[in-house]
Amino acid sequence: MKRKPLIVFTTLVVFIVFVLLVSLQSGTFQMTPAEAFKTIIGQGSDQQELVLFEFRLPRMVLAILIGAGLAVSGAILQSLSRNDLADPGILGINAGAGFAVVLFIYLFQGSYQNLGGSVYILPMFAFLGALTAAALIYSLAYKKGITPVRLVLVGIGINAGFSALLIIMQLRMSPNDFMQATVWLSGNIWGANWSSVLAILPWIAILIPLVIRQANTLNVMRIGDESAVGVGISLERSRLLLLFLAVALAGASVAAGGAIAFLGLVAPHIARRIVGPRHQIMIPTAALIGSLILLFADYIARNMLAPSEIPVGIVVAIIGAPYFLYLLIKTP
Amino acid sequence: MTEIEAKELSIGYEKRKIVEALNLKIPKGQITTMIGPNGCGKSTILKTLARIMKPKSGSVYLDGKIIHKESTKQVAKKLAVLPQSPEAPSGLKVKELVAYGRYPHQTGARSLTKADQDIIERSLKQTGMDAFKDRDIDALSGGQRQRVWIAMALAQETDILLLDEPTTYLDLAHQLEVLEVLKRLNEEEGRTIVMVIHDLNHAARFADYMVALKAGKIVQEGAPEQVICSTVLKDVFAIDADVVTDPRTKKPVCLSYDLMIPERAEEELIPAGGAR
Repeated sequence: MKRKPLIVFTTLVVFIVFVLLVSLQSGTFQMTPAEAFKTIIGQGSDQQELVLFEFRLPRMVLAILIGAGLAVSGAILQSLSRNDLADPGILGINAGAGFAVVLFIYLFQGSYQNLGGSVYILPMFAFLGALTAAALIYSLAYKKGITPVRLVLVGIGINAGFSALLIIMQLRMSPNDFMQATVWLSGNIWGANWSSVLAILPWIAILIPLVIRQANTLNVMRIGDESAVGVGISLERSRLLLLFLAVALAGASVAAGGAIAFLGLVAPHIARRIVGPRHQIMIPTAALIGSLILLFADYIARNMLAPSEIPVGIVVAIIGAPYFLYLLIKTP
Repeated sequence: MTEIEAKELSIGYEKRKIVEALNLKIPKGQITTMIGPNGCGKSTILKTLARIMKPKSGSVYLDGKIIHKESTKQVAKKLAVLPQSPEAPSGLKVKELVAYGRYPHQTGARSLTKADQDIIERSLKQTGMDAFKDRDIDALSGGQRQRVWIAMALAQETDILLLDEPTTYLDLAHQLEVLEVLKRLNEEEGRTIVMVIHDLNHAARFADYMVALKAGKIVQEGAPEQVICSTVLKDVFAIDADVVTDPRTKKPVCLSYDLMIPERAEEELIPAGGAR
């Protein structure tokens, strides 16, 4: 099972580039690989350039960033809670963001499309919602410190509460708004343009290296509280820092990609099975796997039922679940 | 050499007091074993000595400084602790877990240096686990796993080693194997070892110093001969024991023991000071 990390990284990057190239030249606006290549090196028509550089490429870059963000967030949460079922969804982060977004859509009752800036306001709402949920969970779970079990249990409770409120509000919506909200809640890379990319890029580019810096701490957190203190971990401080990193990564990702479920759960699992549990290697591997899955899922989402799109979160679940089950059955 | 001492230590969960005003000085460079019935507070005391639990009042002093106020990472360079039945994450290899013992000596995400690697190698050799270093921990037997955890604690390179029931769940031969490893470490490197052990004969055989506890208080402390005697055992465990000296180890051994009839136990209970 153990392979050289470099081979794994290279293979994943090659896969990502491959899917990126295939995905770039396919879509409602037909383009042959040769035309796509010509456009990339700057010899395409204006229309081709517009589709490629302004519509498709930013969307794919977003998919790569969101995939990495959710995967790393999930990896942190799984190690922090020492629970392999943890992911941003379980800590109520998705539900918090979803609630904020649905509240926003509900309050503006369809008129938000006329607000113009909704492409930017909605992600902001989502991010704030995610942070609120996380803060709520942390303060409710706090009892002379945070134990992993309390964190997960309170997270599940908050998640259920937010989900219930969400449904109540959705039921009071107009059919049009309801659709909009449902698509968002299933996970959808929307408003794909370069400014969205610029909005999320700093988070991912700064936070993931910070997480990798904490790899030794994450490693030791996995061996239990008492042993972790024994080798010199300052438990509370490290937990708070790591939780913040996980929430910020998930919040930024959810803001741009909606409540994509399952990715944060499955990507770290696959990574661990390929490269083992050491975070120095596992975290970057999980990030690349998250990017690859989301990029591929987005390709399917855009093309399977073209010209209409399927929410990418649903595709992630459809392609991710069987592979996940296969892995679980195959390995002891 | 690092010194550890508890002064006026009171420890409790919520409102329940488990240990009250305990004074205990661990002899340097020796093996100390703590014995006592379930719930007497021996594990709690060990955890507090290891700064895993905070005392309600009083303090643990490591080289004269209050341990709970020191940087936990600095403490980890002087004192290692092996909790009761620790669990390793699945898929972890033996050498990877042992490498975690280097954590207090590392900064940031820096990977292991040559010096770290050498120390890990040595810890694996000392515990006889070097042949297993590339194995998954999941695939090891209980005794081997326990030795890997000891190797991890050794990799911390501390003067003091605290162990909470290191032999529980092991069969007789494996219990001895683990204890022999610890004894060798003490004899060859002069490490101070403190452990909680349930088996009285093992506790006596491997100890230079023994502490017998009951209801959070020290009933008797001293050399094994002073602690393993019928009066102390009667008081601490309420058992009626015949103690002889093992000709092989020259240490006291409980030859046979029986529960005391409750009323009798009550009557003949000797006050803590009486045994001294």
